[in-house]
Amino acid sequence: MNSGNEKLVDSTTDKTIMMKVKEGDLDKLGLLYERYNRSLYSFFYRKTSHSQVSEDLVQSVFERMLKYRTSYSGTGAFATWMFSIARNAHIDHYRKNKRYDQKEVLDENKLGELPPEYEEMDEKEIRKKILEEALQQLDNDKKEVVILSRYEGLKYAEIAEIQGVSENTVKVRFFRAMQELKTLVNTLSEVYRNE
Amino acid sequence: MNESYELLIADYLAGNLDEDGKTKVEQLIAEGKIDLIDFKAMEQLHEELTTVSTPAPSEAMSVNFYSMLESEKEAQASYKWVEKVNEWIASLTVSKLAYACVLLIVGGFIGSFVSQDDSQLEALSSQVQNMQEMLVVSMLEGASTTDRLKAVNISTTLPTADDKAIRALLFTLQNDESVNVRVQAIEALKRWGDHEDVREGLVGAIGVQESDIVIISLADAMIELELNSSKTEFEKLMNERELNIGVKEKIENTIAVL
Repeated sequence: MNSGNEKLVDSTTDKTIMMKVKEGDLDKLGLLYERYNRSLYSFFYRKTSHSQVSEDLVQSVFERMLKYRTSYSGTGAFATWMFSIARNAHIDHYRKNKRYDQKEVLDENKLGELPPEYEEMDEKEIRKKILEEALQQLDNDKKEVVILSRYEGLKYAEIAEIQGVSENTVKVRFFRAMQELKTLVNTLSEVYRNE
Repeated sequence: MNESYELLIADYLAGNLDEDGKTKVEQLIAEGKIDLIDFKAMEQLHEELTTVSTPAPSEAMSVNFYSMLESEKEAQASYKWVEKVNEWIASLTVSKLAYACVLLIVGGFIGSFVSQDDSQLEALSSQVQNMQEMLVVSMLEGASTTDRLKAVNISTTLPTADDKAIRALLFTLQNDESVNVRVQAIEALKRWGDHEDVREGLVGAIGVQESDIVIISLADAMIELELNSSKTEFEKLMNERELNIGVKEKIENTIAVL
């Protein structure tokens, strides 16, 4: 994660670069791609657990940046604008595939499934696997808050702007996501212990 | 749990709380309003989340991105031509048409009397450049930001450095109210970085800039043009002004590079 100062300079530079893209210097988008492709890929991978879908969605984000470049105003953090596009790309993708309405609630059967490589995993790896699985069980909004806050380093206010809700709603979502994760991790640990 | 405690814990986990906030959390734990074991488990889980990594994307992702960018650039290039022709047609008025006809007739008349040698072609190209320079200078004085941005962009198509255009761009860099125009002026001036007036003008502009973005762009330009003389100006700027910490760091890095 960047330090605050680096983030500030990066943020200013990102805006300048995006303004250049807006003015027609399309090559500059390559700089933003190099800076953010990994971050966006991780964002989508954590949401979908699917490499190919995540790569396609990263491509879709940069296509949209080009398509909507004239509407870029340069106000607010660049990352907020970018992740808003990413969020919409993800929603559109699942609408097209008619899977978005599927409620991602705790699936007891799924929780009982152990990975085939379970026998060879050490305790640390099992714990990591449990955390991954628990994260996948959260509903979309909560999962998104955890990803953006914990992994992408966004502030609650920025996440609120992306999700179109108040900052307090984001904080409550984050707290409740952590509570749910705690319960899920305990349930999964129990399943693994009994095997 | 009380929702206000939820907000407080969320802020605590994100590291947003000051000393008073942390004391409040400790107080609520001591009063039993927040369960200590629950709180500690959540804190540990929050820490552990960082261990969940993701795989790297494939090489194909970058290949796809850059081929998409190339296609967009090609589309933009062809669109620009169509746009220019449309703009030209839209801008035609009776007086302009009459003027164009007169030019055509006079040109044809002169052409029929004068042999086509290289010196005439050079003179013609020099006249075209003069017209472009005049256009740049007059558009830079315009009231519209878009026009001034256009003028800066036109200046980058001038084949050779021109004193009038350079003076106008330096004046723009020092005085234009739009940050975007000033940033673009730096980009345009960089093309003539071997010109002494440009080098002096860019260094001289450091002290008068208020915008962080413009100062950062100038710092990048100084490194690109290896303008060592800018070090003194940057040091002066840091000593005399209360700068944003990020900008200060950028300047320090620039001085170190120079």
